[in-house]
Amino acid sequence: MTTRQFLISAWNWNPWVIAICVITILIYSAQQRFHFTRKIGWLLAGLAVFFLTLASPIDALANGYLFSAHMLQHLLLLLIVPPLILLSLSPAPVPDSFQNGRWKWLNWILRHPLANWFLGVGGMWLWHAPMLCNAAVSNVWIHRLQYVSLLLMGFAFWWPIIGPWHKQRISPLAGIIYLFSACVGCTILGIIITFSPVEVCSIYLHPVDRLGILSLIQNQWGLTPAKDQQLGGLLMWVPACLIYFCGIFGLFARWHGETGDKEIIAESQSTKTIMEKPYVH
Amino acid sequence: MSEAASTFVAIETPAAASAPRGLFSWVATVDHKRIGILYLLTTLVFFVIGGVEALLIRIQLARPNNTFLSPDAFDQIFTMHGTTMIFLVVMPTLIGLANYLVPLMIGARDMAFPRLNALSFWLLPCGGLLLHFSLLAGGAPAVGWFSYAPLSETPYATTSGVDYWTLSLLILGIGSVAASINLIATILTQRAPGLTIRRLPLFVWMVFVNSFLVILALPALNAAIVMLFIDRHLGTHFFAPANGGSAVLWQHFFWSFGHPEVYIMALPAFGIISEVVPVFARRPIFGYEFVAASTVAIALLSFGVWAHHMFAVGLGHPMDLFFAATSMMIAVPTGIKVFAWSATMWGGAIRLTTAMLFAVAFLIQFTIGGLSGITFAVVPIDWQVTGTYYLVAHFHYVLFGGTFFAVFAGLYYWFPKITGRMLSERLGKLNFWMALIGFNTAFFVQHFLGLMGMARRIYTYPDLPGWGLLNMISTVGAFLLGASVLVLLWNIIVSLRHGKPAGDNPWQAWTLEWATTSPPPAQNFDRVPPIRSRRPLWDLAHPENPDPIVGGIAARDGFVLEKNRVGIVSFLITESVFFLMLILAYLYYNTHDMNGPTPATMLNPQRTGIYTLCLLASSFTIWLAVKKLERKKHSAFRWLLTLTILLGTVFIIGQGREYLRIFHSGVMVNSNLFATTFFTLTGFHGLHVCVGVIALLILMGLSLAGDFKQGRIEAVKSIGLYWHFVDAVWLVVFSVIYLRLLL
Repeated sequence: MTTRQFLISAWNWNPWVIAICVITILIYSAQQRFHFTRKIGWLLAGLAVFFLTLASPIDALANGYLFSAHMLQHLLLLLIVPPLILLSLSPAPVPDSFQNGRWKWLNWILRHPLANWFLGVGGMWLWHAPMLCNAAVSNVWIHRLQYVSLLLMGFAFWWPIIGPWHKQRISPLAGIIYLFSACVGCTILGIIITFSPVEVCSIYLHPVDRLGILSLIQNQWGLTPAKDQQLGGLLMWVPACLIYFCGIFGLFARWHGETGDKEIIAESQSTKTIMEKPYVH
Repeated sequence: MSEAASTFVAIETPAAASAPRGLFSWVATVDHKRIGILYLLTTLVFFVIGGVEALLIRIQLARPNNTFLSPDAFDQIFTMHGTTMIFLVVMPTLIGLANYLVPLMIGARDMAFPRLNALSFWLLPCGGLLLHFSLLAGGAPAVGWFSYAPLSETPYATTSGVDYWTLSLLILGIGSVAASINLIATILTQRAPGLTIRRLPLFVWMVFVNSFLVILALPALNAAIVMLFIDRHLGTHFFAPANGGSAVLWQHFFWSFGHPEVYIMALPAFGIISEVVPVFARRPIFGYEFVAASTVAIALLSFGVWAHHMFAVGLGHPMDLFFAATSMMIAVPTGIKVFAWSATMWGGAIRLTTAMLFAVAFLIQFTIGGLSGITFAVVPIDWQVTGTYYLVAHFHYVLFGGTFFAVFAGLYYWFPKITGRMLSERLGKLNFWMALIGFNTAFFVQHFLGLMGMARRIYTYPDLPGWGLLNMISTVGAFLLGASVLVLLWNIIVSLRHGKPAGDNPWQAWTLEWATTSPPPAQNFDRVPPIRSRRPLWDLAHPENPDPIVGGIAARDGFVLEKNRVGIVSFLITESVFFLMLILAYLYYNTHDMNGPTPATMLNPQRTGIYTLCLLASSFTIWLAVKKLERKKHSAFRWLLTLTILLGTVFIIGQGREYLRIFHSGVMVNSNLFATTFFTLTGFHGLHVCVGVIALLILMGLSLAGDFKQGRIEAVKSIGLYWHFVDAVWLVVFSVIYLRLLL
């Protein structure tokens, strides 16, 4: 099989994935009462990434062939899809059912950045314990549980930074510490995986060649198991941190864009004439 | 001015403010201005020493096959030149400038911890003398400023030079970290009312970001140095390949410090330029937010690019790929800065003073150095030129053409504030042009020499066509550069005596340091002007046309921090990195099979688990103790403190028994890599527990003496945090070493 043939044939039209995409769009449309703003772009981007993660050849490769493809899926589900979808939501007050009603327990988690942080970073570490990593590849139900939990933990992680309930967002400076420490967390894991002489996911060491692409991967692409794991570790180490850094720069922009509370805005409007003057000597 | 003065904000009344005189008053001083001056004078001495070393190198290289220096002397001199310039000149100069200027620029009386400040300074001459003492003790280190293993291990570096190098760098590292913790605490907690973080002068902002780089990067070096020292003196095998150690691990450890270090030496220089360029272009900085944010971007990215120093090691394609990408990426925020400075000058009413000339030259030379730096991100080019004079040219363009020119700009700009007298502009111009021509003559030709294949760190070179000529040009340039420094020294001496009196604000600058007298009084300010924008003195001088208010009229940021807490948290961050390196070294060596003792045969998780519970319980008791003290229940506090001390002691005894058991089975720290890493990691943790117990005993003494009766219990809270940290580290160490055995 050539690379081209593989890329064309390895799509997996999983009805679950398509159904989730369609249902999400329907729910979103209903919630917006079919008055769309530009924010729907974020949603579509998020769902497109979600679809590519689980239906494209990435999934075929992650299914027992390449640890690095599995890592890519992991990162997309944890760090790309949830923030994109959160960005598509309009700001809203905290609903009553979350403040006092039956979702109070969930709100407790959402309200505590430390809990969110541990969910997001812990999720990364947890699924790379060798036992769980192997189980997720060999058992389809654990595999699905992994996908769902990654998405949920991703939502929890990004909630205090870009969640729609602005009251629950943490201050930009705290957010910078939140994201930087998360980067440190995944850097350490990435470094350990990159330099570890032991296989993290031993199942990728001897793939079952269901699709007949093993020689393509190992000979033509040159991805031996050792290189594959190094690549996986590096994905977790470098691009993951770059995603956190993007969040940090976003927070920085938000912080410098803040003008302060309302009376201050009023005051600065009265000084607007002054602001428009050039200040060269 | 007089009505404006009524809105001045008075800050805390000064203590007795008459400046003490005499030599001893300088030794005993805790005044940040005097300490800043001491820093600058000390670094000036080392700058001259390092410069003379550079000239010796250039004399040796002036002609092919020269015999002026022996190979060994050449190795020693280039090692000393690099180490001196980086650790004894560039870093302390920037720290010294920050020390002098940051409290003035933020309208503070002094640094947050004046005594700690004095300590960080005095560690500098100690470290410097220790390093140079090696010359009397059998020879200076001759292994390069990066001390690559195994060359730096005992079999290859037989004199004690490397030992002095390790000890000296450890001392200097501790000094830098202490200074940075101090700067962080100062900037976070000592700002004048109204000076919110978004209104900080860019120099202060960059020093702030830079201080985080220091406390995160230096402990990596310190950990590596400690391991090297243990290797050399206890015969262990961290970096000795003959016994399974990894020389590449040294490179990883060293460069994970070394690349952030490049930015540690550049960011404050960027800060100087961001102050000098706007003042002499008579315009506010273009894109303040972008300059500030790009500083953060540089700081963050600088931790993810170190492997580009190691492309030639053979890290494999995946590593090369990722690190080439991040290395190129870091050019973006740096480029943003260069654009911002250029745009500030664009259309400004530029005054070409000496300071501004140096700043403009900085901009051009730093850009050249930056561009040649990007070429190193291209892996195949890196392989070709990494060991050549092309690299020497590159980093001298960054560090001399960049950082030093910025420091000179800063010196001409702030000298009037520091001394009350202007530096002579006539001598200054001479100094500038000599430095500019000398520097570029000395280093530009080295690009060509490097591309022609001339290897660095070799004491001589063959007589190939053109090499002799280009090297002679370089040497002449170096001497011209050296002469320009003499002009600077002459200028300083003459101006100190006969310089024009400066007045408070000779450059019509806009930041707070110019609001006080030159030189400032011991208490810095009696009152500071109102601060509503980034240029308070502009607003004061132009009430009809003030700058836009930044971030509303709020006089404070949304958070209030206590300086002791900031200090201890910064300290714990730096300690975490130190332990992280030890833990990574343990993991690196203990995940595959080896001969000799192994964790499985030597350790008993259950037994150590019991002692672990003791330590964890002590975390609870100290937490409770602090709670009691907050409610002023002093005797309950003392009982809980005693319990904490006892639990800590039990843990230490447990660890001691574990060590004895291992010793009795004939295993020593040098037996194999398990023993090496195990004893180093648990030993350093045990040391921290002992320090914690001593600190708790001191608290006990203070409590018995009635020290906490007035409710000043910050010390107790800080030690409490430290104790929690020690316990948390043990939890990680216990999981990594013991719990892994149960899986």
